[in-house]
Amino acid sequence: MRRYSITYFFGQSFRGLWRNGVMTLASVLVLMSCLIVMGSFAALVLNINFNLDSLDMLNKIVLTVDTDLSENETIELGEKIKTFQNVSEVIYTSKRQALEEMKELYSQNEETQNLLDDYDEFNHPFPAQFTVSYVNNEELQTLLFRLNELEGITDVSCYADIAATIENIKGTISFIFGWFMLILFVVSIFVIINTIKLAVFSRRQEISVMRYVGATGWFITLPFVLEGTLIGLFSSGIAFLIQWYLYNRVAGGIIGNTGGILQIIPFWDMGLNVGLAFLCVGVLTGIIGSSISLGKYLKA
Amino acid sequence: MIEFRNVKKTYPNGTVALDGVNLRINDSEFVFIVGSSGAGKSTLIKLLLREEKVTEGRLIADEFDLTKLPNYKVPYYRRRLGVVFQDFRLFPNMTVYENVAFAMRVIGEPNKVIRRRVPSILNIVNLQDKYNCFPRELSGGEQQRVALARALANNPDTIIADEPTGNIDPKMSLEIMNLLVKIHKKGKTVIVVTHEKNLVDYFKQRVITIRDGKVVEDKIGGMF
Repeated sequence: MRRYSITYFFGQSFRGLWRNGVMTLASVLVLMSCLIVMGSFAALVLNINFNLDSLDMLNKIVLTVDTDLSENETIELGEKIKTFQNVSEVIYTSKRQALEEMKELYSQNEETQNLLDDYDEFNHPFPAQFTVSYVNNEELQTLLFRLNELEGITDVSCYADIAATIENIKGTISFIFGWFMLILFVVSIFVIINTIKLAVFSRRQEISVMRYVGATGWFITLPFVLEGTLIGLFSSGIAFLIQWYLYNRVAGGIIGNTGGILQIIPFWDMGLNVGLAFLCVGVLTGIIGSSISLGKYLKA
Repeated sequence: MIEFRNVKKTYPNGTVALDGVNLRINDSEFVFIVGSSGAGKSTLIKLLLREEKVTEGRLIADEFDLTKLPNYKVPYYRRRLGVVFQDFRLFPNMTVYENVAFAMRVIGEPNKVIRRRVPSILNIVNLQDKYNCFPRELSGGEQQRVALARALANNPDTIIADEPTGNIDPKMSLEIMNLLVKIHKKGKTVIVVTHEKNLVDYFKQRVITIRDGKVVEDKIGGMF
């Protein structure tokens, strides 16, 4: 029974990495940089999505109720809105609830809080509101027209345009991100190809003897593929640690400068996914890069 | 048994290296292949090693039809051959023992087998006392003996020696040839490609002469 020693393969791989130290370092640095850029873009897109989702008012219509309307009339109005086509939900916020919500929203802002404290349940400028959720964005204009025609509504606010703009920005960022990633991926593969080619060149005599004594293609190529894989592993490990540090630092800065208006996803909520993505891209780049550079050695 | 049946080899640039070669080398034969530079000797060896593919005709080595042999089977075919090169091709950073063991390791022989077999092979080539030396510490003849030991490591049926004495002095050349004869007497097929007229004439074995890609002479006990 023929047995192949795993220590032999790893030994050869580490030897190759050490022998071509400069190129190994260059490969690790390039791949690591690519992964960090990829991770940063991904974090940006995820956070934009997260904030967009949390700003759910952008996907809703807010109707300001006329202050002269009685409670019964308001309830009737709400029921009427519910019957409109394209309406999925209608939530009523009374004047009292409106004040409470404002107080809660600005609970961290002392100056605004002081202003709000001057108001009481019956004396404040915040009107009662209906928050209307809709189903179909394409029929939004029809719904807005009907809501504007309603008696007892003084204002119809809809942020659909802003939501659409943000969606567009998100799409553009994703598009740029995709292309950028592809380019970085290709660059990384080329750098790894060069590293492995150097390793193969420095061991060309060994390889030729291996072939003459009957070593199989995979026996010859495995150490080099492992070498590429190790480059990918090192790069993804270091990139993950740097990404973690950078993310927390940048996130801290954003929270501090925006007074908490923008929400940031905690790193560890996406850390596992980021780590796995780094590992997959890193290792895949290593394997693809080394396999391409070894193509001719796989032949007999 | 190795059989060339009307073998033709044309390289992509149009050079016809072998043109209708017909020859048969039986098991346990000792054969010299001689000819001037560019005659086609190296191509013949490349075809035998399945480094190159036959353009026309058929080349059969035992149960392997090299004309049709798929790439993935080539390593298994090569394990039945032992190859010795003019430039030794030893690894300078490995000892004599490691150089020989390397050939066994790459085909996955267990360490137990390697530890048992390498000393006995070194004994055949009279290098048992130098197992721990590095190639730079050996003479040219000794280095070629290490290469020969490596070629024997996997107990091949056939030894192919491509100009084995090209880089060593006449005395050492004789020693290497004597070793090849000794190996042949153990039942191996030995194919030696050489320019050395004196050695060919001295050993009086079968001599195949190639000229312009054709076998022009094939004599047992022949002369260069």
